[in-house]
Amino acid sequence: MDHAAPSGETQTQRAREFVAAFQTLRSEVQKVIVGHDDVIDHVLIGLFAGGHVLLEGVPGLGKTLLIRTLAASLDLSFSRIQFTPDLMPGDIIGTNMIVEDPAGRKHFQFQRGPIFGHILLADEVNRATPKTQSALLEGMQEGSVTVSGTAHMLPVPFFVLATQNPIEMEGTYPLPEAQLDRFVFKLRVKYPALEELNEIINRTTRVREVAVDRVMTGPQVASYRELIREVPIASHIRDLASLIVLASHPQWERAPEATRRFVRYGSSPRGAQALVLGAKVRALADGRYNVSVDDLRAMALPALRHRIILNFEGEAEGVDADRLIEQLLDAAESLSAAGKDAFLR
Amino acid sequence: MADPGILHRLVRNVTGQVRLRRAEFFALRGLFVAALVAAVVLALRETLGAAAMAMAGGLLVLGAGAGALVGALKRVPAGEAARLADRGLGFQDRLATCLEWAERPDRTPLVEALVADTLARAERLESRRIIRRLLPREAKFIPVPLALGLILALAPPIPLPKGGLPNFSAKTDEDEEKAPERSGPLQQDERPRASKREAFPRADVQERSLVPRQGAGGQTQPGDLTAIFKDTSLASRSPDFNSFLKKGDERIRMLEQVDRLPDLQRDFTQSQYKVMFQRTKALRGGLRPDQLSPEKLRELLNEMERLGRKGGAENPWAGDVGEGMEALEQGQTDKAMEAMERALSKLRSLEEGGRDGKGLRGGRETDRRGAQRDRGQGQGGPGEEGDFPEGGEGLYPGKGKSPSRKGDPTQRLRANPFDVGVDGESRAGRKEGFDTNLLGRGANLPSRLQYLGVVGQYRKMMEEAIAREQVPRDFQTQVKQYFQSLDEK
Repeated sequence: MDHAAPSGETQTQRAREFVAAFQTLRSEVQKVIVGHDDVIDHVLIGLFAGGHVLLEGVPGLGKTLLIRTLAASLDLSFSRIQFTPDLMPGDIIGTNMIVEDPAGRKHFQFQRGPIFGHILLADEVNRATPKTQSALLEGMQEGSVTVSGTAHMLPVPFFVLATQNPIEMEGTYPLPEAQLDRFVFKLRVKYPALEELNEIINRTTRVREVAVDRVMTGPQVASYRELIREVPIASHIRDLASLIVLASHPQWERAPEATRRFVRYGSSPRGAQALVLGAKVRALADGRYNVSVDDLRAMALPALRHRIILNFEGEAEGVDADRLIEQLLDAAESLSAAGKDAFLR
Repeated sequence: MADPGILHRLVRNVTGQVRLRRAEFFALRGLFVAALVAAVVLALRETLGAAAMAMAGGLLVLGAGAGALVGALKRVPAGEAARLADRGLGFQDRLATCLEWAERPDRTPLVEALVADTLARAERLESRRIIRRLLPREAKFIPVPLALGLILALAPPIPLPKGGLPNFSAKTDEDEEKAPERSGPLQQDERPRASKREAFPRADVQERSLVPRQGAGGQTQPGDLTAIFKDTSLASRSPDFNSFLKKGDERIRMLEQVDRLPDLQRDFTQSQYKVMFQRTKALRGGLRPDQLSPEKLRELLNEMERLGRKGGAENPWAGDVGEGMEALEQGQTDKAMEAMERALSKLRSLEEGGRDGKGLRGGRETDRRGAQRDRGQGQGGPGEEGDFPEGGEGLYPGKGKSPSRKGDPTQRLRANPFDVGVDGESRAGRKEGFDTNLLGRGANLPSRLQYLGVVGQYRKMMEEAIAREQVPRDFQTQVKQYFQSLDEK
């Protein structure tokens, strides 16, 4: 079957639909979640960028509720796994079981685990052992799991939302860098302000809870993911994204002083991909058809904060990755053509 | 796709603005430089005459014009102009992206939407200047040379000094006498006579008197630091740096005694011990001591004996070699082996003793003489090498020969071989050698000698560190064994 290339008019129409759908989805989530507007936006951006999102925050800030609400707003299957130290990979992926057919013959049949859902909530992901954590790796990267030599495709879209608690580190297994890199964004859920807290109390102590409507289907999400990739990006902005990522590498000859001093490993190319894809989603959700420098700046923190590994000095000095990234942004902008004043050159 | 012509016009408009601002910028810079030059020209008005004013004015016009021209002609890439327009018009990089992607063959359908969106925004725009004026740093200083030039233009011409180079040729008295004759009496009277310069004061006049101030009787002045010695015996003594040099630091004297300094040029690899060790190793051929045949052992002992004879000096290992030979004759290989080891060890000690500072002994000469005298009279302990030279006596109150109620201060500090660096005493007795017995051509390489130079220092540092720090005995042994292993390589 021939695929006719969509015309500009069609794509413009789809882009407008996306803007509307994004706003609607955000509104649905905001019916339940008070505040955390940037976290909601970034979770949605992660969803449309085709990545997975890690939410970090102390208990009780609504991380799990946010994800449940998002799942309820989407017409998609939802699984939740509470990660514990005794959780095994088979509990996530599934296992082969002996079943008997009507003829009395026994054979192995693969029983799917909770990973076979569109939206997977991996609650307190750092409480499981590394072996179990790594069971998610293939699914997150390849969209499939392999059991007994047989690859099983995961449903599309497949979206992992993991939570972790940064303070209760006793008995936890911090995610290895390889797995952290699989998350497109790492979001920090902060404590609500006074007005937000009051609103939370009002909403959650009422008799009836707010009903959330399903406003988007799986195919729609997949379609918007394709659309996102068509957003053009100017070469000087793409160069800026590369410079930001390179500036996080202490080995780079033009790396800023802060990087050389405090960073052990910089961001991988996945960081640059996450940065640009996130910027594209943000631009389109904002009703623009192009990526701007502001989009890159807005997406730099969630896309890079978990990809920059501090060295001993950085950890001893208590260097905050977010502040470091802000310095990287300034340094990269001063290096790029976008940041220079072209007036006198 | 919509025609992006309006976008190109927008970019051209911005380019024009950039050129204009650049022209302003560089014109001001050129004006400043020209004003400086014009001020100099006006200062030379007496020489240049009426043309100076015209030149100054021309320079100002030329400087500003040239600057403006340079600024206006500088290249403005379209991409940069588009980025400036995006920034100035709040387009959020739409224009730059649009212009870049509109012509690309791999443009996506969304680019059309982008172009249309950007066109719609550009059409709604009101024409305005978006490039702000930027002034060069020199701009605020322009009034200075301009005002200076104006003052110079209004003021009468500055008379320039008509001087030649001074005459450096030596004038004789005869010349001075002849000069009035040439100039004539009239000119001579008109010319003001310069007073004859005084010759420079002679050195003996400037020499300071170093007679000390009489602190005891004289009045002290505020700030006179010698007043602190007023009532002491030093008050009448004059400072004498020479005496300090003569009677001064023992270390300086020691440095004068060249023969006491270690010979740093000596090649430690070519020592008797070294040669002997090499031959021993070659004869043993990698065998363990229990595998050594009596023939080889005999050969080894003969070699040592020959070496001792060649040396000519009194050999402390000669007895051991003899014992070894006797034991070998009696078929006692073990004893012969032990005797050979002892002989080797003595040879090594001898080498070490000779090498380690060549008998350099620090401390004060008087102390050393006293120590030798004491030893000669038999009043000393068993020797300086022991930790408790007096067998413990004299270290405690009421013990030994000390008249002091508390006893003499302990000798342990100076006597301890590890305290080499404390007061300059060189440790006597056997030390671990730092000769590492490398065989072959590598033994004489310069890098090898450098290694030998530093390994001794490290050994000393190690010994000091072990003596200073509380290191468990096992670990001390381990560290020492490590250094010993360096010798055996």
